[in-house]
Amino acid sequence: MKILVVDDFSTMRRIVRNLLVELGFTNQLIQEADDGNNALTMLKSQPFDLVVTDWNMPNMTGIDLLRAIRAEASLKGLPVLMVTAENNRDQIIAAAQAGVNGYIVKPFNAVTLKEKLTKIFERLAAAGASA
Amino acid sequence: MSAVLSTFDEAALPPELKDLLNSEDGAAFEHALDALVRQREQHLFRALGLLARDLHGAVSRLGNDLAQEGVPGRVADVRKHLNDVLEMSAQAAHRSIDFAERMSPEADKLAQSAEQVLASAAPCDPVADLARQAGSFAGACREGLNDMVMAQSWQDLSGQRIKKVVNFIESVESSLLELVRLTGALSGREPPPVVEKISGQDEADRLLSEFGF
Repeated sequence: MKILVVDDFSTMRRIVRNLLVELGFTNQLIQEADDGNNALTMLKSQPFDLVVTDWNMPNMTGIDLLRAIRAEASLKGLPVLMVTAENNRDQIIAAAQAGVNGYIVKPFNAVTLKEKLTKIFERLAAAGASA
Repeated sequence: MSAVLSTFDEAALPPELKDLLNSEDGAAFEHALDALVRQREQHLFRALGLLARDLHGAVSRLGNDLAQEGVPGRVADVRKHLNDVLEMSAQAAHRSIDFAERMSPEADKLAQSAEQVLASAAPCDPVADLARQAGSFAGACREGLNDMVMAQSWQDLSGQRIKKVVNFIESVESSLLELVRLTGALSGREPPPVVEKISGQDEADRLLSEFGF
């Protein structure tokens, strides 16, 4: 599974990468972007199966990236997991309305990440089966 | 006139106004009213004048402080310090993750070796006991190293706050400079001298060696 990790802090990208590897995802298939703009360029040029993105980033924020993904015909079905320090109620609602697949509030742990990822893929499988 | 003002308590008015209100001389009443309004306006203008003078004094002092103490430079310094903290903390966090990434495979190898030894050793063999201990130690290490990686998220959380402080300082700085610029309080002043800084021990040693140390 090809995953794109988007965060402006290199530390956080590395932490998320480590956690994903710990959960059994292949290190070599995980790529990184440091803001929404770069992420969008990468998403348009190669196929990914999952995006894990931060909210607060320069140039293009996570919520704008999410909206751009949903607005792009070739990307709109891509699962997006938001991992952010934003715990503002309105922002969580905005993310839900923009079509986020999961929302994790930092600081988080491997158990939470695993739980949210499992839920995302279960829902997608159910949606795929019923479609 | 007295009919219109009948709702007022005339007794509460100053005697001269009361007299005027009840007088038949309309011109004298108008005159007295004008004088009263002028008097109030003068108070207001005097108060505004004092405020303007105070404001001008405060902004001049601010301009003076900014120029003499090199506050714009110091604000830039503070911002740089904060960005340095951001950079140093990121490096420290990466070093911790480097360590965890280097040690995790070692722990995995130890766990595997322990399993191999356990598979071939007799259950009561002291070697089996040691292998069991090594295996559980390797497992605990692996878990601890994962926790250590996760704990480095402090850098991201504290870093985001530092970025907010840097942005805030920037906005305060530009507002202050704009205020001073508007009043011209900084014009014609010399910028503060730049203090040269060295980047580390190597540069300090090089500099000292020029002086024969």
